[in-house]
Amino acid sequence: MKLRASVPVRRHNGAVTIGEDLRSERHQRRLAGDPRITPEGRALLLRLTTGDLMDEFQAALDADLAADPALGGHDADVT
Amino acid sequence: MLVIDEYLAVRVLVGARPGELPDDEPLALPAYRHYRLLQRVHQPGTGQLSALLAASDQQAIRRPDADVLQILDPRPLLDEAAAIGARYRAAGLLVGETLAAGLTYGHQLWFGTSRNIGTRLAQIAEDLHIAITVAEPS
Repeated sequence: MKLRASVPVRRHNGAVTIGEDLRSERHQRRLAGDPRITPEGRALLLRLTTGDLMDEFQAALDADLAADPALGGHDADVT
Repeated sequence: MLVIDEYLAVRVLVGARPGELPDDEPLALPAYRHYRLLQRVHQPGTGQLSALLAASDQQAIRRPDADVLQILDPRPLLDEAAAIGARYRAAGLLVGETLAAGLTYGHQLWFGTSRNIGTRLAQIAEDLHIAITVAEPS
């Protein structure tokens, strides 16, 4: 009995190139952020997370946590 | 997969990904941190975003594009989170789930500001050998 090795045959049919293109496109989308974000929303969200509204934002996050023992635990200093 | 906090999640969503964050890794926000962010969208009071953001901005936060930001399924992390809670007492769901995610995904956590880490989480992360990296705004 002849045994035939089961080796997948690979032919260049462009699939690799398409795959690379898709990966590159996804990578670019990942870096660009969510396209649903408006310029005004972007500006505000950046102020909250990197700018002058960080204190206010962090205080709000902390307050939410302090008000929810299941989320924040029994120790107030968890965030 | 890199586990990030609310600050980095927002920065990534708006396309302001910090340079320190490797750009070839998918990013994930733990579910309870997403919940915490959603509270800012829905709850009235200081920091309320629903009155300030357009509907499309809110949708991007509520249901992020998975290519940009993934939300971790909390179910596979709950057992580890509960074990951490029991071992360290009073850690809470947010800290427990975040640490469980850090343990699961490469023993590392990324934060957008040191103020969002918290003493308790930092102590437990050190004990569990989870590296914390902070990408502060420049």
